[in-house]
Amino acid sequence: MQKVSKLTIFLFLLPALLIFSLYMVAPIPLSAFYSFFRWKGFGERVFVGLSNWVELIGDGIFHKALFNNFKLVFLSLFGQLPIALALAILLAKKTRITDILKTIYFVPLLMSSVAVATLWSNIYDPNFGLLNMFLQTIGFENLFIDYLGNPKLALYSVIVAINWRYIPFYMILFLAAIKNIPDELYEASRVDGASKWENFRYITLPLLRPTIINASVLSLVGSLKFFDIVYVLTGGGPNNASELMATYMYKNAFNSLRMGYGSTIALALFIIAFTFSIIFMKVTKKGAK
Amino acid sequence: MKKSLSLVVTVSMFLVILLSVSAIAQEEIVLWDITTEAESELPVIQDAIARFEADNPEYTIRHVPTSNDDYKTKLQVAMGANNEPDIFMSWGGGPLKEYVDAGKVMDMTKALKQDDWIERFVPAGLEIARFDGNYYAVPITGMRAVLMFYRTDIFEEVGVEIPETYEDFKDVIVQLKDAGYIPLSLANKNRWTGSMYYMYLVDRIGGKEAFLNAANRNGGSFASEAFVRAGEVIQELVDLGAFPPGVNGLDEDQGQSRQLLYADRAAMYLMGDWAYGLIKNENPAMLENFSFFRFPVFEDGKGDPSNLVGSPGGNMYSVAKSSEHQEAAIEFLKYLSDETAAKQLVDLGNLAPFRGVEEYLDDPFMIDIYNALNNANYVQLYYDQYLPPQIAQAHLDTIQGLFGKTMTPEEAAQMVEEEAQKYFNEQ
Repeated sequence: MQKVSKLTIFLFLLPALLIFSLYMVAPIPLSAFYSFFRWKGFGERVFVGLSNWVELIGDGIFHKALFNNFKLVFLSLFGQLPIALALAILLAKKTRITDILKTIYFVPLLMSSVAVATLWSNIYDPNFGLLNMFLQTIGFENLFIDYLGNPKLALYSVIVAINWRYIPFYMILFLAAIKNIPDELYEASRVDGASKWENFRYITLPLLRPTIINASVLSLVGSLKFFDIVYVLTGGGPNNASELMATYMYKNAFNSLRMGYGSTIALALFIIAFTFSIIFMKVTKKGAK
Repeated sequence: MKKSLSLVVTVSMFLVILLSVSAIAQEEIVLWDITTEAESELPVIQDAIARFEADNPEYTIRHVPTSNDDYKTKLQVAMGANNEPDIFMSWGGGPLKEYVDAGKVMDMTKALKQDDWIERFVPAGLEIARFDGNYYAVPITGMRAVLMFYRTDIFEEVGVEIPETYEDFKDVIVQLKDAGYIPLSLANKNRWTGSMYYMYLVDRIGGKEAFLNAANRNGGSFASEAFVRAGEVIQELVDLGAFPPGVNGLDEDQGQSRQLLYADRAAMYLMGDWAYGLIKNENPAMLENFSFFRFPVFEDGKGDPSNLVGSPGGNMYSVAKSSEHQEAAIEFLKYLSDETAAKQLVDLGNLAPFRGVEEYLDDPFMIDIYNALNNANYVQLYYDQYLPPQIAQAHLDTIQGLFGKTMTPEEAAQMVEEEAQKYFNEQ
């Protein structure tokens, strides 16, 4: 391979680096800066010291949103990933049916989040929706489930939609990793008389470990900063029952014109997501040794 | 060799970007509003632009429409970056005042007084863009009234009459309920929909002063009796089973409220008069089964029965203080509010807020709405347009709590009042 000069590498990376710094890196210190102000997003900025942070610490809705985010993290890690792994293993064998199923299962990922949310809001429609209609047809005539309007249910209904959308992503990730496991390993274990379960437990799972860890980090960070499907499906309602940190941040910054407080939430979100991913990666690295 | 090649490529890439940026700079007036393809008023805007450009060839107008909710965010961000367009749209009231206070909006008073342009507009329409005696926007599209739509055939079948008072109203609700109908269709995911009930109730119970005194801090309070009572009445209606099950999860933007009406499941629907256009569009065959009445009165209430919730002007257009083409922008707004535009708007079913617009009305439904607005002694502008966004948001946040009974009327009223105190203390 021909040696490429550092300058060339730098020049080719420069456009991406500029965009990345401008839109991803620069806003972080900027948000930190704004979090010390009372500001509408335009006009005069009033320095208020730590009062936004004091408010955040005592803000019941933020606590609720944070708790909801952790519920989402938990249900994504232990919902999305195992289902995705199971599907990947089932679909790893190459037959005509698995090819068709692979394509079908991949569809949710191809749709934009807003389309997915609109689709699910039609499924959940309590009066004419697919789900309640189906339940009524199979004999539960008096069953009326209010999926999005019931504050106890709303978050879980949204999480089901989120999982439906993201399972295919992890499925593809696992599928690719499984394909990379050399067949010789399975052949050798067959000679040793290993069962299917033992194959999975002692070959597939250990070799998937790095992929599972990567998927978990993606899922963790993605769940902590999740926004779109919740925003469209419930808007964080009813009464903040399905509020997440990101939707609460948006509401404050853009609906209430409290850009300073919105920035405070944004930075808190960043710190939380950052800390948790570092901890997670440290812990999993230790386990590998 | 390799090195110089990559350098050439990079440099030429930057050149292309630079050139395309400089190509845009011309005598251009940028216009931002929400009339996307989905809005019926789009042809009126486009026609006004064409007529203006034909008469003023030195200018071109770049019309950038953005859908409603995105528009608010987009405008806010542009204002924050000192990058606002020459002409922008708003709905007047509290949000526009924020921009005025930040020194972003041109004072149009002088332009309006010149050649009596001010006489063109219905005064109440201009009023929602008047702060400290100066005007900052002109109303272009429809006067709006929130009305109680109902299915005439269902009313006939059940044998109920249009209720005048709240007691009659409750009676109608009970009878409709007994006949198996959902009395009041409502989709409250959006919250401004449920807010319509709250605004009417506060007005009917406490009169227009209850809100005005609280909002303008003239000794009133959002925790005063009228607001608490309004919450209690909403929860009384909830207990009567007046609203559809799952009301807080239904989405108005997806028409889940109107589906209940079309499917003969629900009988009444409190909504802005635009519902007429929507029904006409979605279900023309059923249009004749719909009519409307005014929100019932409370016998012991202070509200004037003619009062309406609504808006005396819909889309309002302002000129940015930073614009280099202020005169041309004003000139364009004159095209947008002239006779031709007025006629086009009325033909689209839009009650343009211009004087003399009644001459063009021929649709009986629109005449009814026009008369209701004309005879109203007071039009209560929607709270979320009148109030500063921070307080409006607190108000909307309580609405689902009231309908879902996760909040008591006192708690809801107190929450808005606390936010109002916080906001005004910071000013």
